[in-house]
Amino acid sequence: MTSLRIDGLTVTYANRPVLNELNLHIPSGAFATVLGPSGCGKTTLLRAIAGFISPFSGTIRFGDQLVSVSSIVVPPERRKVGYVAQEGALFPHLTVAQNIAFGVSSKGDKQEIVDELLVLIGLSKLANRLPNELSGGQQTRVALARALAPEPKVMLLDEPFSALDAALRDDLRAEVSSLLKLRDTTTLMVTHDREEALVVADLVALMRHGQIVQTGSPVEVYHQPVSPEVAISTGDVLLLDSQKDDLGKINSILTPQLLNKEIIAGKLVIRPEEIRINSDGLGVKATVIDLDYYGHDAVVHLDAGGSKINVRISGDLKFKVGDQVGLEHIGPIRWFPN
Amino acid sequence: MAGGIAVPRMLQISALFVLFLASIPLGYLLLRAIASGFAAASAVLLREKTVSTLITTVGLAILVALFSAMIGISSAWLIQRTNLPSPGLFLVLGTLALAVPSYVSTYAWIALIPSFAGFAAAVFILSLTTAPYVLLAALASLRRIDATQEESARASGLTASQVARRVIWPQSRPAIFASLLLVMLYVLSDFGAVSLLRVDTFTRVVHTMYKATFDRSAAAVVALILVLLAAILIYVEYKARGSAVAAKSGLGSIRSATRIDLGFKKYLAASYLLIIAIASLGVPIYVLITRFVSVAAEINVSNLVSATIATVSAALSGALLAMLFAIPLGILAARYSGRLSRYAEFGILLTHALPGVVIGLALVALGSRLGFLYQSLPLLAFSYAVLFLAKAVGSIRTSIARVPRVYDDISRSLGNNNWQTIRKITIPIAAPGVITGFLLVLLTAMKELPATLMLRPTGFDTLAIEIWTQTSISQYGQAAPYALILVLVAATPTYLLSRPDRAQSSESRENMTL
Repeated sequence: MTSLRIDGLTVTYANRPVLNELNLHIPSGAFATVLGPSGCGKTTLLRAIAGFISPFSGTIRFGDQLVSVSSIVVPPERRKVGYVAQEGALFPHLTVAQNIAFGVSSKGDKQEIVDELLVLIGLSKLANRLPNELSGGQQTRVALARALAPEPKVMLLDEPFSALDAALRDDLRAEVSSLLKLRDTTTLMVTHDREEALVVADLVALMRHGQIVQTGSPVEVYHQPVSPEVAISTGDVLLLDSQKDDLGKINSILTPQLLNKEIIAGKLVIRPEEIRINSDGLGVKATVIDLDYYGHDAVVHLDAGGSKINVRISGDLKFKVGDQVGLEHIGPIRWFPN
Repeated sequence: MAGGIAVPRMLQISALFVLFLASIPLGYLLLRAIASGFAAASAVLLREKTVSTLITTVGLAILVALFSAMIGISSAWLIQRTNLPSPGLFLVLGTLALAVPSYVSTYAWIALIPSFAGFAAAVFILSLTTAPYVLLAALASLRRIDATQEESARASGLTASQVARRVIWPQSRPAIFASLLLVMLYVLSDFGAVSLLRVDTFTRVVHTMYKATFDRSAAAVVALILVLLAAILIYVEYKARGSAVAAKSGLGSIRSATRIDLGFKKYLAASYLLIIAIASLGVPIYVLITRFVSVAAEINVSNLVSATIATVSAALSGALLAMLFAIPLGILAARYSGRLSRYAEFGILLTHALPGVVIGLALVALGSRLGFLYQSLPLLAFSYAVLFLAKAVGSIRTSIARVPRVYDDISRSLGNNNWQTIRKITIPIAAPGVITGFLLVLLTAMKELPATLMLRPTGFDTLAIEIWTQTSISQYGQAAPYALILVLVAATPTYLLSRPDRAQSSESRENMTL
């Protein structure tokens, strides 16, 4: 049981900071995800935690143990981290069992540990296969078992599911996260897939330009974004031009009202599922201009007095292009000054 | 390649040490040339003989490149793109020519036609010897071009010949030009064929000067002209290779184009390839076997055995030394970028530009100053190591680059330190490629002639030396058994690498000779 604490971490690459005074705290046993666009420094963060690269400044702590300060950098082999790379990266010259046993130092329990992990990942029958004889999902499972075998203090996952096809990815993701939570392994997974980041995490950290801009539970980061940019990174949003007066009243196309003095311009952040479409025309007048039907839900594209508004609806698709409807905002008010 | 990774100290030191050792031959020649003084050096440079040698050498290189291109490109096209009967057989025949050292095929033609000599004969022999390089390069680039490209071009209204000119040729050109530069480098370095045919190129002139006079400084100056020519080729080849790689697009699986139906003419095409195969392979094999049979009764088996042992022991120690030298440079090239890596690459390229006769000249002169090394096996092994360093480094770099860095990272995270990771991960994965590279260097070293001729210990007669000596004194029958053994030894891996069912990279094929 080890917490992970990172303070003021700066990593430079060719004299440019990739990580810039980054702070992150993951409680012991938590499954945390770092969500960010490609190039924001996610993989660099994992590599610094694993000890593959030396930071320019800042500290990394595993529980009470300081593993990285500017002067002392504990080498990766003494950190006890598990690392699962993209596409698994199994050693091609070793069998499944040999891959899993690779990091186990105690001779006595080796076989026992390997057998137990093989059962856990459901691949006992494939113990003597070579990696090139496994499917993508099986390779990811073995890579996870290999990382778990030495009982790491911290588990690091670098987009481990990105190479798998969609159906397999969902199942394996659920399987892996429940397995890691069961063992109370403190886990940090980086991903650029916003669904993936939210669905398995206890804690989501949103990363931009080498910094963590918000951390919180999946619900918190989705519903209480600290900025419009952060809101975009966790899901679809409508950004509506709006104004706020000195009494706190907000005027926008969806929340039309008369304002007092001292007006500030800003953006209203609304999720597409936070708008109700009234067939009877109650609310802001709008016209249906297009429909995207996904099966489990649908997105209705509307025109409200020149503004394009998308609304996600579930259940039956009751509208058709050209319908005159009314729109009603039913979610929380999230307003950010420009 | 990550920029910020520091090169371990041990690696730095050993790489610098190897680069120092590898620069000894060239450095010594430069010192000798400088010591002779500017006036003496320019006197050598401006001699009529030097100028005529330059014309002969450059002319030979250009003509051979021309003919080699004609043979190589036409063979590749016929083999890959037409309904030629048994294309696999012609591919094997075309590449097996690599196994016959130029001095062996020259010997065979001289044994067949005693008046066979001169410039035209050298063009003939060297074109046949080097055509496989162009064949393999052209074949590889033809295979790389996806059929859909040609189909789209045809669909947009181009004729077959327009497709060849506007789609296929522009994509094959960089690889073919690179192979032609290798061909010219081969011609510059070749010693055996031109010497037996009495054509005065730089290699033969350097050797003659070394034999005839004790004025090693003049020989050094002439040798340096040769190095300069080779360095120019290496430089151009290096630049061309860069653009050849860039021209490759990241295609997934490639569908090969449909073969053109030649109709009745396919038998003409087959006869053309057959004639080439007879000239490059048939004649040498016929001569070797008939001559061998004619002298079978009087073969001195113990001489044969001792020559084979000498060949193997010299080549083995040279190849081992070459691989040992190549380890730090190969790791550096595969795993680190930065100034030292660039210096290392430059140094390796420069050794590639040193023909055997030049290394031989430098080391024989140096050896005569250091008495204990003069005509010793270690010095001969050292010459092989420098001569084949580029090839050894190439194989090690390719093999190590095949081990992705992420394996190192994961091994480290699983509790192994740097050395344990090298032992458990890098070496096992890289080993097959390194061993193949070692075998190729070994085989090439077994065929080496000029450096062996100049540096071997007295009485140390390898197969190559025996063939050379017997042919020089017109004892064609006596040379046959030695040549036969040499060709058999060299042909096996060439055959294995050229088999169409083997998915071998063209790089490992290119590593075969030179």
